[in-house]
Amino acid sequence: MSFRERWQAWRYNRIPSHLIGEILTKRWTDNAIPFLALVVTLAIFGSAISGFFKPAALQASSRQLGEFSLVVTGVTVVMLGGGIDLSVGAIFGLACFSAVFVFFIMEQSIWLALAASLATGLVFGAVNGYLVGYLKLRAFLTTLVTLIFGRALFDILVTAYAAQVQLSDAESPILDYIGDGTFLGLAISVWLAVVFAVVTHIALTRSRPGWHVLAVGGSRRSAHNAGIRVGSTVFFTYVFSGLCSALGGFLIACRLSGAGPGTGQNLEIMALTAAVVGGVSLGGGRGSVVKGIMGAIIVLVMTNGLIRLGYGTGTTQMVLGLMLAAAVTIDIRWLKNRHKVLNEVYVAPVYLKMGEAQSAEPDSGTPYELDNRLSAAEHIGLGELEGPEDVILDRDDHLYCGTRHGEIVRFFAPDYKRSEVFAHVGGFPLGLAFDRDGNLISCVGAMGLYSISPERKVTKLSAETARSLTSVVDDARLRDPNDCDIAPDGRIYFTDSTKRYDAHDWTLDSIENRPTGRLLVYDPKDGSTRTLLDGYRYTNGVCMAHDGKSLFFAESWACRVHRYWLEGPKAGTAECVIKDMPGYPDNINRASDGGYWMAWLGMRTPSFDLSLRHPGMRKRMTRRLPQDDWLFPNINTGGVVKFDESGRILDTLGDLSGEAHPMVTSMREHKGYLFVGGILNNRIGRFRIAGADENWTSPASYWGGAK
Amino acid sequence: MILDPVLDLFRGNAVTIPPFDGAFRPNTRLDDARAAAPLAEADNLARLPDGLVAGSGNTLYRIEAGKEPAPFKSFGAPVAAVAVSPSGELAVATETGALHIGDREEKPHAGIGCVTALAYAADGTLWLANGSADHPRSQWSQDLMRHGSSGSVWKRAPGATSFERVADGLAFPYGLLPLDGGVVVAESWRHRLLRIGAGAPVERLAKLPGYPARLSPAPGGGAWLCLFAPRNRLIEFVLQEEHYRLDMLATVPPPYWIAPSFSSGRSFLEPLQCGGIRTMGVHKPWSPSRSYGMAVRLDEGMQPLFSLHSRANGTRHGVCSVVEEAGRLWVASRGGGCVLDIDLADLAREAR
Repeated sequence: MSFRERWQAWRYNRIPSHLIGEILTKRWTDNAIPFLALVVTLAIFGSAISGFFKPAALQASSRQLGEFSLVVTGVTVVMLGGGIDLSVGAIFGLACFSAVFVFFIMEQSIWLALAASLATGLVFGAVNGYLVGYLKLRAFLTTLVTLIFGRALFDILVTAYAAQVQLSDAESPILDYIGDGTFLGLAISVWLAVVFAVVTHIALTRSRPGWHVLAVGGSRRSAHNAGIRVGSTVFFTYVFSGLCSALGGFLIACRLSGAGPGTGQNLEIMALTAAVVGGVSLGGGRGSVVKGIMGAIIVLVMTNGLIRLGYGTGTTQMVLGLMLAAAVTIDIRWLKNRHKVLNEVYVAPVYLKMGEAQSAEPDSGTPYELDNRLSAAEHIGLGELEGPEDVILDRDDHLYCGTRHGEIVRFFAPDYKRSEVFAHVGGFPLGLAFDRDGNLISCVGAMGLYSISPERKVTKLSAETARSLTSVVDDARLRDPNDCDIAPDGRIYFTDSTKRYDAHDWTLDSIENRPTGRLLVYDPKDGSTRTLLDGYRYTNGVCMAHDGKSLFFAESWACRVHRYWLEGPKAGTAECVIKDMPGYPDNINRASDGGYWMAWLGMRTPSFDLSLRHPGMRKRMTRRLPQDDWLFPNINTGGVVKFDESGRILDTLGDLSGEAHPMVTSMREHKGYLFVGGILNNRIGRFRIAGADENWTSPASYWGGAK
Repeated sequence: MILDPVLDLFRGNAVTIPPFDGAFRPNTRLDDARAAAPLAEADNLARLPDGLVAGSGNTLYRIEAGKEPAPFKSFGAPVAAVAVSPSGELAVATETGALHIGDREEKPHAGIGCVTALAYAADGTLWLANGSADHPRSQWSQDLMRHGSSGSVWKRAPGATSFERVADGLAFPYGLLPLDGGVVVAESWRHRLLRIGAGAPVERLAKLPGYPARLSPAPGGGAWLCLFAPRNRLIEFVLQEEHYRLDMLATVPPPYWIAPSFSSGRSFLEPLQCGGIRTMGVHKPWSPSRSYGMAVRLDEGMQPLFSLHSRANGTRHGVCSVVEEAGRLWVASRGGGCVLDIDLADLAREAR
């Protein structure tokens, strides 16, 4: 092996590059960039300004943060609903003035002052909400108008009443406490902000109105079509934003005991920047309160830090502008390209050197020699069926198969011309088996292990196993349950082929070739599911040996068949019985003569085998080519292989014409016939086996009894 | 976008190929056409004064619609190219590099070992395309996969005794069309037509969606161009993958390479691409393929007018040679093993 090949093997098999893709599938990665920005900002200003983290300094800035966070929470909700609120600064200022006016000039109680503040926010929010939500005016222009109007009103009022406020001698301990006091070491404004944030977060993520807001922001049209009242949802986001700003304004009124011309100035720009920098999408529907708060901290630390470092307002505004621009760019590019990045990063091929296989070419003289015998099979359900991955027959000779529409279809004996939908399961029913009581057990791709009673009642048996300790993506869930078989004691042994791909993407797993296939067992006595074996390259067919003491299972991408011992000295261990086949094995089933049938879903090609030794090439292929152009194993040719108890190959049947059975994923012997299915095929084949026992049936072989 | 070169470092730049569009819009005219005669590895159609001939292996056959091809002339090696002089004399090049003109056999030049095309100009000048200086004609895919560009174009003026080299450094010149004292060359590995005459070569038609083969004059002016295989993203990708490609050339038998071919899908050992998977009994005609059949009608300016196709699910692939004669188009499909006979009047009616 060349040095390069050894290095490739080490690089692609030892470095877990697949984790990047798995981490990117997590929703929380959206928070990573704002979080990183937060850490960097804190680090920079923390080290540049001495005493930045001193409790006194933190206390002062935390009061400001509390008020600001409230405003940002409101803006976040509006943005999540697909809008924008520029009037928060004006409302903030007016609410502050209302409180000051009621308390200092009218000399009313502090609670009345709070009510006046909130009423101001409510009125302005309702105006915004009415215009944007019900009259469908543009959010940007509408709130800009409210901003200008509110700001002008505030300036007039402040100029008119500033002196009177100065002269007032109204006092209240409650006001002082709200403005300067602490509760359990934290300022009141911080407590209020935290409570608001938590309540809003829960409302957005766990309540119907919150979901409506996200739905409207995500797509107004779809939300409308789904029956959500878009207008009122939008209306309430503005009202909520107005209330949040008003509460902030009340708090600053308490803290400063007055209202100056600068109160709430440029607040809308800061709040907007905070929300966007935090990762709340301007397009709506994406974001969270936590993100908004993160953004609020970043913006506040940045502006205060710059001021303390001696930079003027111009510089601060400039930095805010740049941050906003950067955040908007990242937001849009990320939103647009996230799935592309994920697609490109997700497939993480590994190195594998396949063993030399015997030839399967016609006239090669090997036991694997493919021929054209299967093309003579009569067809069942041609043109009606789509994707009969597995086929099975019951004691009354009726034929069952799954389809890609999630149905189990039954064809009636004796001629299999008539059919009915036996049961609708959903997913993609793959492996089938009958248990002792005649229940049809099915591995349903993308769903789990299901049981269908003779009365057509569908019951979920298992959809999960224990999660492994090192998994990033939850591997407790069964992603691709593929085939099952039932031991004499009733336990169901089944395979879950891959942890990396969903059932319909099964072919992608062959390109990656990462060994993540499992063998599992479901115990009907206590309903538990256990993982028996892990780390195989696409575990596929399972078949109980004739004596019921061991089972065979196929490892598709490695072209091997293993035997797993249920009892005896080797119980609980697996050994390889057939290796280095020229085809990729799929389902395995019993044959009447004491041997076993095995389906080949495809054939190895020299070019694909070579690509397995070039994982870097496969990686680049997945990144640079569209999926339709990717190199695949040759799954346009398959076959049926017969082997005996010791794993010796006895015979191989094929359809080299590729017309009737290009790929074979399953076959079932029944009364002298072989029924052949294929996951990408549009028919079931019925093939007469020369010299087979014409009385032998699979249910009788498993559970005894007549027929 | 301006950032693309930087982003490509992280995401990999996409491999793109020209689409089958405009005059190249796919149809099934070649697959619908009547097979005039079965002929394994049909190639090298030529119009003699007394009938049509086509090459297969070492032998030239007479082709008549509806009749079994009759052997006409045999040679010691596979026929590589044929041409008919204005006086009706047949020139045949074989894979060993020998040139048979009439009954004479000669060895044109030591540097000519891979004759891919012969053509006579109206004045009797014989043009000759030498596909590669490194590989014999039978190893053309080796030449492509090794980025061969050692092809050359030669000519012999009427009466002259030796060939002179007109151009070299070409990536497999596969077709010749003498024109106004110069020649139009189909440069296969670069998917284009070049006009070679006095001065530097000029590109006449570029970004072909396939690998061009022979050119032949059309009676009404203009020409016919054959394309024997489509451009395929996977092949173009493998051409850029140094280690994989060299390992493939060294260890995989040539019929199973990821490389263009005259026919495909015959063996389960051939490479398969995702789009080529047979699903519910259907092989998608637009799926990526290693072989294709296509004849393109070019106008006098060498611009495409319309085309005839055999798509990924068809069988008339590997079209390397066509001849138009009296309103009929004869197409030799090397991969399909037959000579097709198409009524151009039908095509014109269809177009209307």
